[in-house]
Amino acid sequence: MAILISFDIDGTLEVGDPPGVLTMELVRKTQKSGILVGSCSDRPISGQRAIWEKHGIAYDFAVSKHQLPDVKAKFEADVYYHIGDREDLDRQYALAAGFEFFWPDEAVSEPWLNRDADPK
Amino acid sequence: MTTENAPVSMYRTTEGMGVWEHKGKVAAVGIGHSPTTRRWDGTAENTMGANSIFALRQAIEDAGVNPADIDGLVLDPVTTTGAHWPEGQDIPMDVVNAYNQTDDPLDGIAKLSAEWILKNMPELTNVKFTMYGMGCMSHAIVVAAQAVGEGRTHTCLVLKSWHNLEGRYNQAGISATDTVPGTFAVSPGRTLWGAPGSYGTALQFAEYCRKYGKSHDMMAPFMANSRRNGLMFPEGYWAQHRPEQLTAEDYVNARWIAKPANLFDNDIPIMVSGAYLFTTAERAKDMKQKPVYILNHASSRGSQRSILPTLDEVEKETAETGRKIYEGAGITPADLSFENMYDGFALFHQFHLEGLRFRGMQNGDALDFYQTDISIEGPNPVLPSGGNIGSGRSRFWMHTDCIQQIQGRAGARAITGVKPEIGVSGGPMPMGGNFTVWSATPD
Repeated sequence: MAILISFDIDGTLEVGDPPGVLTMELVRKTQKSGILVGSCSDRPISGQRAIWEKHGIAYDFAVSKHQLPDVKAKFEADVYYHIGDREDLDRQYALAAGFEFFWPDEAVSEPWLNRDADPK
Repeated sequence: MTTENAPVSMYRTTEGMGVWEHKGKVAAVGIGHSPTTRRWDGTAENTMGANSIFALRQAIEDAGVNPADIDGLVLDPVTTTGAHWPEGQDIPMDVVNAYNQTDDPLDGIAKLSAEWILKNMPELTNVKFTMYGMGCMSHAIVVAAQAVGEGRTHTCLVLKSWHNLEGRYNQAGISATDTVPGTFAVSPGRTLWGAPGSYGTALQFAEYCRKYGKSHDMMAPFMANSRRNGLMFPEGYWAQHRPEQLTAEDYVNARWIAKPANLFDNDIPIMVSGAYLFTTAERAKDMKQKPVYILNHASSRGSQRSILPTLDEVEKETAETGRKIYEGAGITPADLSFENMYDGFALFHQFHLEGLRFRGMQNGDALDFYQTDISIEGPNPVLPSGGNIGSGRSRFWMHTDCIQQIQGRAGARAITGVKPEIGVSGGPMPMGGNFTVWSATPD
């Protein structure tokens, strides 16, 4: 099953301001399992790229908050997730774009690994 | 000592006042800044009050004066535009008690009085004159300049401080109440309908684009230039905490806050304090730094006919402000080396610029001008400070830069395309603000 995960940065990833609970190691591990990963943040896109590059992660996308629909259009996957810490800027944008949503503390346990192979 | 707001008589708000009677007789001789942070960490060591003392002491040392020689203090007692202390939230008395208190426990935390400063800076033994310039550093500067000119004080500290609290801007305090006074609801940066603060400016900018056939994307070079300059401002937030350039791609891909104002058209609230020392031109000759003379100050008190200013009103008011600036200084637009007008919403900087008739531009020309060389290395430096876009919400980077450029202390940010001899700074709004003309010479 093809999975795509979008990460907010500030308040979500350990490198954010404020730092979140999700480690870059978790992101690396997620990517190594064949999952498409990238960021969706209010940080400038060039700044998002710089974070991924600094941590040696070959991100698949880096977009602004309102651009999740573009991500969905560009990447074909069976399920799309967005992980973030804000109701207004993360959860609502995610659901509006047809993504499923996790709060950072929910994502720590990597629930996408336990998802049924058949998303239906 | 009771500190009052500056009286109306101290402002130069109309055309036809002639050259400022104190032109060239007041000088800036010292600069001080506290470190920047995004928000208060709750500690006594890092309160806004602590930042204020830091900045003031730095300005005093920078000027090389004995604190006992300082006889005046002008400041803005309001230290936020949106980080209001939440109703009912406990005030940390351990923090309050770490300082000499006034009657208000929030003094030094979420507001600031001259009394609090003087109680906590024992070295200021001779301050006899205190006054408030409400709203921002631009305001405090004109009050201090006029006060020194009038002889109310001969060596005067000027201070603007900002606090920022946990949580989001404009969500607590008065913003969390069920009702607000109409005067608050229609004050600059607000609307009756609770739209984002940049809404009014966005509306004017949209009118501007329609009228002159321009687009929001044309702002990108200005934004990149401002951030570039800000990253060369070591005192600023972005340089200190996130030294990232803002590219054109970043800018045009940002989400809308109040279309056509996007995320980056809005400055980031921070905690910081900035201070200057002003004195008479005569005294300035013997001080440590090269004096930067004030040729004039001018104030805009524009009023709109309806709930929000229209583009026509903004253009009329900024043009009048430009004329007042030049009239009082006895100069023309051709005499300006550079400009540092306010950019707290990026989308009104061009109104200020056009009002100045900077480099001969007329209404509708600024966004085309942004596509040319506006860098510090070029012949037409626009906002060499980088403003709030470049360094965070302080409303004083513009003034500091004017002083530093003329003194030759702007470091990597030094203007090289023209000789920095006369600059202008001020704000905040096109319909209401205070502006100062700075010069390397008194005439």
